[in-house]
Amino acid sequence: MWIEIGHFAAILALLTTILQGGAAVVGGALDRPAWLRVSRHAAFAAFALLTLGMAGLEIAFLNHDFSVAYVANHASTTLPTFYLATALWGGHEGSLLLWAWLLSLFTALAAWRHWSTHPRSIPWVLAILAVLLTGFLLLILFLSSPFERLFPIPPEGRDLNPLLQDPGMVFHPPFLYLGYVGFAIPYAFAMAALITGRAGDEWVLATRRWTLFSWMMLTVGIVFGAYWAYYELGWGGYWAWDPVENASFMPWLTGTAFFHSVMVQERRGMFKTWNLFLITSTFALSLLGTFLVRSGVLSSVHAFANDPGRGVYILAFMTLVLLFSFGLLTARSDKLAAPARMESLVCRESAFLFNNLFFLVASFTVLLGTLYPLAIETLTASKVSVGAPYYNKVFIPIMLGMLVLMGVGPLLAWRRASWEQLRGQFLLPAGIGAAALVSAFVLGVRHPYAFLAIGLIFFVASTHLRDFHQGAAARMKQEQVGYLLSLFRLASRNRRRYGGLVVHFGILAMVVGFIGSGLFQEERNVLLKVGDSLRLGGWTLTLESVGQQKKRNWQALEAVIQATHDNGETLQLRPQKRVYNKHSQPTTEAAIHTGWREDLYVVMGDEVTEGSWNLRLYRNPLVSWIWWGTGILCLGVMLALTQGRRLRRKTA
Amino acid sequence: MAGAQSRRAFLIVTLVLVAGALLTLVYSSFTGALVYFYTPAELKAKEAELTGRKLRIGGMVQEGSLEKTPGTLKIRFMVTDGKERIQTAYEGMTPDLFREGQGVVVEGTFRPGETFQADTILAKHSEDYVPVEMTPEAIAKSKESILKSLK
Repeated sequence: MWIEIGHFAAILALLTTILQGGAAVVGGALDRPAWLRVSRHAAFAAFALLTLGMAGLEIAFLNHDFSVAYVANHASTTLPTFYLATALWGGHEGSLLLWAWLLSLFTALAAWRHWSTHPRSIPWVLAILAVLLTGFLLLILFLSSPFERLFPIPPEGRDLNPLLQDPGMVFHPPFLYLGYVGFAIPYAFAMAALITGRAGDEWVLATRRWTLFSWMMLTVGIVFGAYWAYYELGWGGYWAWDPVENASFMPWLTGTAFFHSVMVQERRGMFKTWNLFLITSTFALSLLGTFLVRSGVLSSVHAFANDPGRGVYILAFMTLVLLFSFGLLTARSDKLAAPARMESLVCRESAFLFNNLFFLVASFTVLLGTLYPLAIETLTASKVSVGAPYYNKVFIPIMLGMLVLMGVGPLLAWRRASWEQLRGQFLLPAGIGAAALVSAFVLGVRHPYAFLAIGLIFFVASTHLRDFHQGAAARMKQEQVGYLLSLFRLASRNRRRYGGLVVHFGILAMVVGFIGSGLFQEERNVLLKVGDSLRLGGWTLTLESVGQQKKRNWQALEAVIQATHDNGETLQLRPQKRVYNKHSQPTTEAAIHTGWREDLYVVMGDEVTEGSWNLRLYRNPLVSWIWWGTGILCLGVMLALTQGRRLRRKTA
Repeated sequence: MAGAQSRRAFLIVTLVLVAGALLTLVYSSFTGALVYFYTPAELKAKEAELTGRKLRIGGMVQEGSLEKTPGTLKIRFMVTDGKERIQTAYEGMTPDLFREGQGVVVEGTFRPGETFQADTILAKHSEDYVPVEMTPEAIAKSKESILKSLK
């Protein structure tokens, strides 16, 4: 019953969206306000209808309605309610519906918020968003419908994949999609600006907060995915350069490049075409990410080609979006001449230019590694894979280069920096960085990348801290207030700038985590009998016992390991090998002890010979810095988000 | 304005140099990191040209071929595609999905005539788990599709 209502609502949403697009084009081209109002209300209606569609499917899940094929494939009566409610996005069809629903939500929000502030752009924004939503709804309704019925009705569902029964995986897709879909709004504004021929700064200002919000959500989504991989997959790492991960990383890279280079457009009027190119690429890569992961093309090109409808549709849709966007950009690029030229190598503009170069090469690296195997497999008979070593070889130097830019960029003067300024700004931070290098050498760090990274991390942190300190000190003198209060006032007066610097601190913490865990991980793969011990880092680990554990929809073999650190700290680790009732394959549940210095990570293996167990143990230094670094990053973005649309304020 | 012009030229030259260095880095890392995938039959056919290359072999773990050395993590097994088989050895923890009669992908350096020493065993973790209560025909069919998708 509910599923029919949901299905019907989704069909109506498609019709309403087509109306929204048509009315917007007529209203915009012929300047008819009445038509525009129709379009706007159609956007609201489409959102309401799709919400009903989502609710229909959600109710089917909560009622264990296995007459719905999608529910039968992704749920069972023993699935805990939390995972039952979130199994909606556990498969292709449902997650595409989530995508479409978010797009309709953002379209409605844009129609509401930008209606009076951007009357010239809004018709085209509504039209473009309507086309995108129509594309998705056609795919959902005709080629991958979550509303389809199943007959005969199975008495029990196939259950949700055990790997997805984890909080990390529950939150990963929605956040990722908030990011992907969020970029649709800046993209639509960019296209509207090209269509109306007013490709100045208006679209940049209108979409600044949309971009920041989407970028933050995308970051959180990616980190949730990494966190899930770390806790659930049991291979000791969090990022494997898997195509699925790469798919979400590419729009992140171009998105990051975009909101940096947009600052140059705001301040100096340069990079206009470039920014349009970046936002278009970011959105196109978001689409690519969705489709790569959700079309099955990655598991096998041939399986993908065997489902001709979906594959051809998705390719056609992507091609259309790309041709339209880049065609429009090329046709209108003559209107985008910059009033100013880059003047020197050492200035803020050029720091942004190099920032963009690094981010672009980074995303090209990922794109090449992700799509080349697909191309080879499609065009020739052979199959090829590009391993993690490729990415690591390219990314570590790029990351170090970005750290340099991050340290100098925010402090450099616009147009041209003088020697005196440079000396004043960078002498102390460079000294601190050099001191860090010397200490690292004395402490025995010999890995060249780790060595350089330590120096750079200290350099960047000190340039940023110096910036905060000087601003606060000046304010303290001027306003005769305490240090903390003036620090607070400083940050709240220019939330954009200081929000950005806080984001940099978050990134720094994450880099500490990447370097620590990437270059200094220790691994042991051993056979242990009950009572055996081994050493790992400063820890002594003893296998105490092996026994059985049981919960509602799984049972497990569990090892109990006692860990004692040389400093006296003791703790217990309980890795499991679980078998879920509906599935024959066992899954590993790693036991992880998290600390600020290092994680202990233990994976349970098989009983290789009578009484001796295979265990894999890792010491992962500094991993947790990645997680809380992401938290700092979010705080920074939120600080920047609270600042409204003011432009060209004089910065102190 | 000669100063301004030379500053600009300096900027452009630096930009080109940095971009060139980065792209060289990408190119050199990329060409060295490609690992091709073969079935045992393809491998036998191209033995000569693939000697000493890092590659992946995909097939099924042949029933009855899995041997364990007691007291160690060393295992030996045959990877087969129904036509040819490759003797493979591995030391370490095997993935959850690894067992006789299952699809497997092993990665290592190929030397014809010698046992293939695998550095890595990859298990496909796909979203489509096979439920426990399956008919023998369904199992046979899913094996066939695993082999097909491996190819």
